Amino acid sequence: MSGHVKDKEAYLRLNYLYQAAHCVLNQNPNNVELSRFYCFTQRTIARRLVLRQDPSVKRTICKKCCTLLVPGLTATTRQRKRGKKRSITILRCLSCKQSKTLLNNPDYCLWQDRPESQAQQKQPDQNAPVQSQPKKSKPARFDSSNPSTSTATVEQTPP
Amino acid sequence: MDEAVVETHIPCDLVKVLGVEPQIRSKAVAFTQAFLKKNTEPRPQLDEKSLLSHKAVILEYTRPKKKRINKQQAKGLNAQQKREIKIFHIKSEHQRYELFLPLHNLWKQYIIDLCSGLKPTSSPQSVQQKLLKADFHGAIITVVRSKCPSYVGITGILIQEFKHVFKIITKQDTLKVIPKRNSVFQVEINGFISYIYGNKFEQRASERSAKKFKISGTIDL
Repeated sequence: MSGHVKDKEAYLRLNYLYQAAHCVLNQNPNNVELSRFYCFTQRTIARRLVLRQDPSVKRTICKKCCTLLVPGLTATTRQRKRGKKRSITILRCLSCKQSKTLLNNPDYCLWQDRPESQAQQKQPDQNAPVQSQPKKSKPARFDSSNPSTSTATVEQTPP
Repeated sequence: MDEAVVETHIPCDLVKVLGVEPQIRSKAVAFTQAFLKKNTEPRPQLDEKSLLSHKAVILEYTRPKKKRINKQQAKGLNAQQKREIKIFHIKSEHQRYELFLPLHNLWKQYIIDLCSGLKPTSSPQSVQQKLLKADFHGAIITVVRSKCPSYVGITGILIQEFKHVFKIITKQDTLKVIPKRNSVFQVEINGFISYIYGNKFEQRASERSAKKFKISGTIDL
């Protein structure tokens, strides 16, 4: 992966925009608008060139208003119980009140880290395009349901 | 005495255990003020006056209704909502030149990384090809030529790029809005000077990365 990447310049640009959003918010914690603008640009670039973004990046950007979610500043994080055993982390954007729900499951493994995903990436190249169609739709469906079934790496304990 | 407890630094042995680094004092103050401002805003639904003036309050016991969970996915804001929250509008108190200097330093690193070192031996054409698709937020740009003479000579950090307009913050802490059409901009990176012809650049910042540029012979202003 690290040797030759196809859209290297575009990935560099996405990286820069994400860092710039953090930099602006770090300099002036009240300047949410500019960091939102950079995240918006980042998202539209990724959309136009059809580049997958890492889940850790996607989870820090609000789906609705593209604000960079920093706990305490632009978002609130709360631990809630769901059911008897499971607990969830709720990340709520303060400017548009959109919330993300993440399941606290330390054993959860992201799709990218699983061995099946590597096998799937290679297969469509070898097989005929007719066969690869149902396979293509699979990761996309997984992606959309990703926020609800993913882990929170940091487990918080109530004081 | 209580205040002194709050302001003490985190002990060194706890830093490793918690995985938290103590912040610089000025940054910590800025964070705390922003945090308090965000979290102490009065909630509109708990305001007594508006609650009583607009709504009939039933004093008898009513069974709480089960809320229907909205299964629809988050759709973006519409144009009216965007206008109401002023989605990309930078407030005048945030328009300060020194706040954007770290952004410029970050941009320099990004460009040097993009052009793989930016040595004097690298051919200017390949660098220009890369600069076409690069991001210019954070660059220091100067208006070199323009049809409107009052724009010429304005220098500042580019902070927002729209379809027809650059927003530049100058050293005098003013936000200048400069149209791309009919003007030429200059960008300097480590002695490498390149010109941006605004007429050819009239796209959104995000659309430029996917677009192919045609090589045209003459550009007249």
